[in-house]
Amino acid sequence: MTTRSASPATKVFREPAVEPRARAPRRRRRTLPLRRLLAPYVFVLPFVLVFLAFSVYPLFFTLRLSFTDWHGSGAAHWIGFDNYRYLLTSSGFWSSLGNSGVLWLLIVPAQIVLAVLVAVLLNAIKRLRGFYRVAFVVPFVTPLVAVAQIWIVLFDQDNGAVNAMLGAVGLPPVGWLVTSGWAKPTLALLFLWKTTGFVVLIVLSGLQQIDRGLYEAASLDGAGRIRQLRTITVPLLRRSLMFSLVLQTLAVFQMFAEPYVVTKGGPYTSTTTAGLYLYNHITRADLGTGAANSFLLVIVVMAVSLLFVRLLRAED
Amino acid sequence: MTTLGVRQRKPRPLLGSHAFLLVLTVALLAPVVWAILSSFKPAGEIIRNPLGFDPATFTLANFRGMFQDVPIGSGFLNTGIVLVAKGAITMFCAPLAAYAFAKYRFAGRNLIFGAVLLTLMLPTIVLVIPLLLEMKELGWVNTYQALILPGSVDAFAIFWMRQVIAAVPDELLDAARVDGCGEFGIFWRVVVPAIRPGLAGLGVLTIMNIYNDFVWPVVAASSSRMATLQVVLSTLAQNISGNRVGADYATVTGELLAAASIALVPLLILFIVLQKHFINGILAGSVKG
Repeated sequence: MTTRSASPATKVFREPAVEPRARAPRRRRRTLPLRRLLAPYVFVLPFVLVFLAFSVYPLFFTLRLSFTDWHGSGAAHWIGFDNYRYLLTSSGFWSSLGNSGVLWLLIVPAQIVLAVLVAVLLNAIKRLRGFYRVAFVVPFVTPLVAVAQIWIVLFDQDNGAVNAMLGAVGLPPVGWLVTSGWAKPTLALLFLWKTTGFVVLIVLSGLQQIDRGLYEAASLDGAGRIRQLRTITVPLLRRSLMFSLVLQTLAVFQMFAEPYVVTKGGPYTSTTTAGLYLYNHITRADLGTGAANSFLLVIVVMAVSLLFVRLLRAED
Repeated sequence: MTTLGVRQRKPRPLLGSHAFLLVLTVALLAPVVWAILSSFKPAGEIIRNPLGFDPATFTLANFRGMFQDVPIGSGFLNTGIVLVAKGAITMFCAPLAAYAFAKYRFAGRNLIFGAVLLTLMLPTIVLVIPLLLEMKELGWVNTYQALILPGSVDAFAIFWMRQVIAAVPDELLDAARVDGCGEFGIFWRVVVPAIRPGLAGLGVLTIMNIYNDFVWPVVAASSSRMATLQVVLSTLAQNISGNRVGADYATVTGELLAAASIALVPLLILFIVLQKHFINGILAGSVKG
C-alpha cells in the first residue's frame, strides 16, 4: 500500500528523523541510510501480499456478490439490498445469532472464572505444578475434529459412556445431542473442555507479572486470601482478563467446526451457530445471500470485539 | 508462592487446591484416555460396555477397518506437506514482520498493523466463498497451493511475536548496527537468538494450528486425493451422524475412535516432548500490563 504510493526515502520520519532546522552538521544519526528506511517495508511485504491476495480481494468480491442473486453459475443480477433485507427479516439469521449468543453465555463467563481460579491455585502450589500445567493444555493441542468425534461417541444417548456413568449411580439417561435443550450445553462443554487450558496459561502469565511484595504487604495488614484475590489479583489481572475475553468472544462467534461435526446444527436448528448458518448458504449454492450474511457477521463480530477493546482502553 | 510462604502453618487450603485440581485434571484427561483405550476394544464391546476395559479382548480390528475404509495414509501425507510448507512460511515471515512493527518507525506502520488486527478479527468462514471462487479462477482447487498460501503469514503469530520482540532491548540492536550488521543481519543474528523461547512456543502453536485446521481444507480440498487428515476424519464422523443406514453403528464407532486416536497421538507426543518450550513461550509472550 504505502510501500507503493510514497517513496519511503523522501518521507520525513518522526523519531530518528531528518530535522531541517537542527543545524548540527553531519552527525551520524541525522539521516538514516536508505537500506534502513526500506528494511521495514521489505520485512512486512510477505504479510501485505498475502493480505491483499487472500483477504482484501475476497472481501471486495464478497461485497459485490452480496448485492446479487448469483448461485455459482450463469449470470448474476444486481438486486440491491434484497439479500440484506431478506436476512434481517428472516428468523433463521436471528436464531443463528441467538444460538451463538446463548453459547457465549454458557461458555465465556464460566470459562474466565474457572481460569482465574485454576491459575491462582496453580500459582500458589509448588508440587505437581508442572504436571497440572501439562494436563490442562492437553485438550488444547488435541485436534478438534478428533475431539468432536469422541464427543459423539461419549454422549450418545443409548450407548455413550456418560449415560453409562449416570446409569451406574441410578440416574436416567440424558439425550445429550438429540434434544434441543441439551445440545447447546453439550457443545459448550466441548468448547470449555478444549480451550480453558489456554485461557489458564494467559491468566497465569498475567499473574506472574504481579509484584509479590503486594501480597506480603496485604497479609501483614491482615487481609485474608479472598480479600487479596479481590483487591490485588483481579484488578491487576484486568489486562489479561480482557485479552482472554476478546479472544474467546471471537472464537465463540466464529464457532463452526464443533456443530458441523457433532450435531450438524440440530436437533432442529438449536445448534446452528452463526458460522454454520452462513456455511449452509454455501452448500445450497445461495452465494449472494451467503455473501450478505458474511458481511453482517463481520459487522457483528467487529462490533462486539471493538466494544471489548473500548472497555479495555477505558480502563487505562 | 508468596501466599504459601506466609501461610505455611496452614496446609489445609493446599490440600483443597490439590483435590480441586486433581478432579479437573481427571475430567480433562478422561475423554482422551477413554478414546485411546476404547479404540483397542472390539467394536461391539465399546457400545455394550463403554466403561469397562478387558485387556484379554485387546484387538487392532478397528484400526484395520479404518485403514481400509478411509484414505488416512494420504491424509497424513497431505497434512505433512502442508505443515512443512505453510509452517516454514509462517515461522520465517511472521517474526520478520513482527520485528518491523516492533522496532522500526515507518510511514504506514499503523495502517499495515491495522490490517493485521483486521485479519485477526475476520472469521475464516466469512472468506470461504470468495476464496473458493478465487481458487477456481486460479485453477487451484484441490491443489497444495490452495491449502498452503491463504493465511500462510499468520496474523496471530505477528501479533504475538510483536509483543515478544518489543521486549528485546534497543541497545542490543544498536550495538549490532555499530558493529556493521545489516538490517536483516540484526534480525537473524540478534533478534532471533534473543526470542528463542517465544519462537519455540510459536513453533508448537503453528504446527498445532495447521495440523488441526479444518474449515478451509474441507472446502478447498474436497477431493479424497487432496483431503488432509482432519478432512478424512470428518468424513468418518459424517458416516455416523448422517446416514447410519448401511453402516453398522458399532463398527463405525470403533473406526471413529481408532481414527481419532491415531490423529491425537502425533500431537500429544510432540506436545509432551516440547511442553516446556510451549508453555514458557506462551508465558513469555503474554500481554504486557
